[in-house]
Amino acid sequence: MSKALLDMRGLTINHNGRNLVSEIDILVEAGSVTALMGPSGSGKTLSARASMGQIHPAINLTSGSLRFPMRDDRDWFDGIVNAGPKAQNRLLHETAALRGPYVSYSPQMASSALNPGRTLGRQLEMAIMRRAKSTDNLAMSVRRSLDEVGLPHHASRALPIELSGGMCQRAALAVAVASHPQLVIADEPETGLDPVLTRGITELLIRVCKERKCGLLLISHQDETVARIGATIIRLPGVEVV
Amino acid sequence: MTKIPAVVEVKNVIKTFVQSGAFPWSDSVNVHAVRGVDLVVKPGEVVALVGQSGSGKTTLSRMILGLEEPSSGAIQLGGSPWSTMSERERHPYRVDYQYVPQDAMSALDPQQTALEHVIETLKALRGQSSSDAEINAKEMLVRLGLGERFGALPREMSGGEQRRITLARVLSLTPKLVVADEPTSGLEPDRREAVLRDLIGNLPEEAGCVLVTHDMGVARKWAHRCLVMLDGRVIEELDLRQSEPVHPYSQLLFHPWDYPVPEGELSASGCPFQVDCTRFKENPEAPCATSLPELTKSTHKSHRVACHLGEISATLSSEVNSN
Repeated sequence: MSKALLDMRGLTINHNGRNLVSEIDILVEAGSVTALMGPSGSGKTLSARASMGQIHPAINLTSGSLRFPMRDDRDWFDGIVNAGPKAQNRLLHETAALRGPYVSYSPQMASSALNPGRTLGRQLEMAIMRRAKSTDNLAMSVRRSLDEVGLPHHASRALPIELSGGMCQRAALAVAVASHPQLVIADEPETGLDPVLTRGITELLIRVCKERKCGLLLISHQDETVARIGATIIRLPGVEVV
Repeated sequence: MTKIPAVVEVKNVIKTFVQSGAFPWSDSVNVHAVRGVDLVVKPGEVVALVGQSGSGKTTLSRMILGLEEPSSGAIQLGGSPWSTMSERERHPYRVDYQYVPQDAMSALDPQQTALEHVIETLKALRGQSSSDAEINAKEMLVRLGLGERFGALPREMSGGEQRRITLARVLSLTPKLVVADEPTSGLEPDRREAVLRDLIGNLPEEAGCVLVTHDMGVARKWAHRCLVMLDGRVIEELDLRQSEPVHPYSQLLFHPWDYPVPEGELSASGCPFQVDCTRFKENPEAPCATSLPELTKSTHKSHRVACHLGEISATLSSEVNSN
């Protein structure tokens, strides 16, 4: 049996005496797709960010374990659980080296996730420089990254404002996978896209991850999308919000 | 008997933008956002405009409200020649034609409570006294399920509640027309349902509604008529409760996972969808590459389609039952 890329168990996060997420298990294996679903406010993004070691100091990690078995056997939450904001900040710094070469995160709303002041080419270069194995030819790597997501080469000179919604989403995906991570976390890549673009970007995401043999943790609202791609589904229970 | 005028009547409207580049020295390009659209919204009717991003839905809806001026064509609202009126002439009527924005958060004042938002609207646009405005605002907020949130600031509200404040502002004015630009974007399926129920369920009886959306489920459930837009044109008009879409592009839009992934390339001459059209690939002798298909009326009066190879056959039992 292949080792898991991400194995998070019993994640419970508390804020002012209320559990924001409780006893969440997330397992992602290489080459597989795991979908994280649930209503707004159920803690999808919170759980996904916690799985990268990002826990805001204002909230409190009260139980759980986080392992990246493909990398090592360390439990990253060891000593962090119930240890307060300082320990959580320490975790944030310790896991910084993982983000990029091992795990990458593609946030919601691609257009706002890209840096508006830098060309796409420069943003790709910065992601490529975070690869575990350094690359000799940066320009060539940028062109390959653009080819991979089906963007024209001249898009590397464009600012995010010059790209359409669909192109922005592709660009964000290119930046997310440019660092050659083994695990990609895509937070609602379909947000703001029409149904045809949603299908296109979801298929692209799956294809790129399959080609790279990396695991994908897909946060999604859409039952149909998740059913079509045959992902393992983790459903988070909703919380009472008006 | 006098004929009741349509709430909205759009005749052959065209809109061309000059889009400048990102930098002062970049080339500017002409964008044909809307290329000859006809649209009628009758009193009490909900019309959905659906299509992919960039198909001209938002531009058309903004032109209806006079937020953009058409390059050519005519728009009438409630029988008045809206597109030829000056802003001064339009002003007294504006209160009757309301807009629900896509991004509720940016449309709200971060320093005003839910109640203050609605009171201010009623005072400024309907000229109500403070006491009357407060009574009416409270009544509308209660009706939309915000009875316990009078004092909440926008940042303290959920996405659904923020939407409801924008709806309360619009609906409290008893408008004749509401143009809602993706009122459910960014909301979850169950919350979408609730927001649309609040919007459409509380519309005044004679009011028309234009619903801009790319959620096909919304169009199917809530609209009396649905206009599918592609590249600035209406390519199909149908009542989704009576017919199924027959244009290959509409079928793709409604069932994106059942058809091959489109290249997304639109043709400048002939039918814009010819590059990705499976029907044209099977019938290459059809005139799709050379002539632009017109929106043709069918025997089934509520269904029109612009396709050389389209056949309108799917009529559901509702019409049969009604006869």
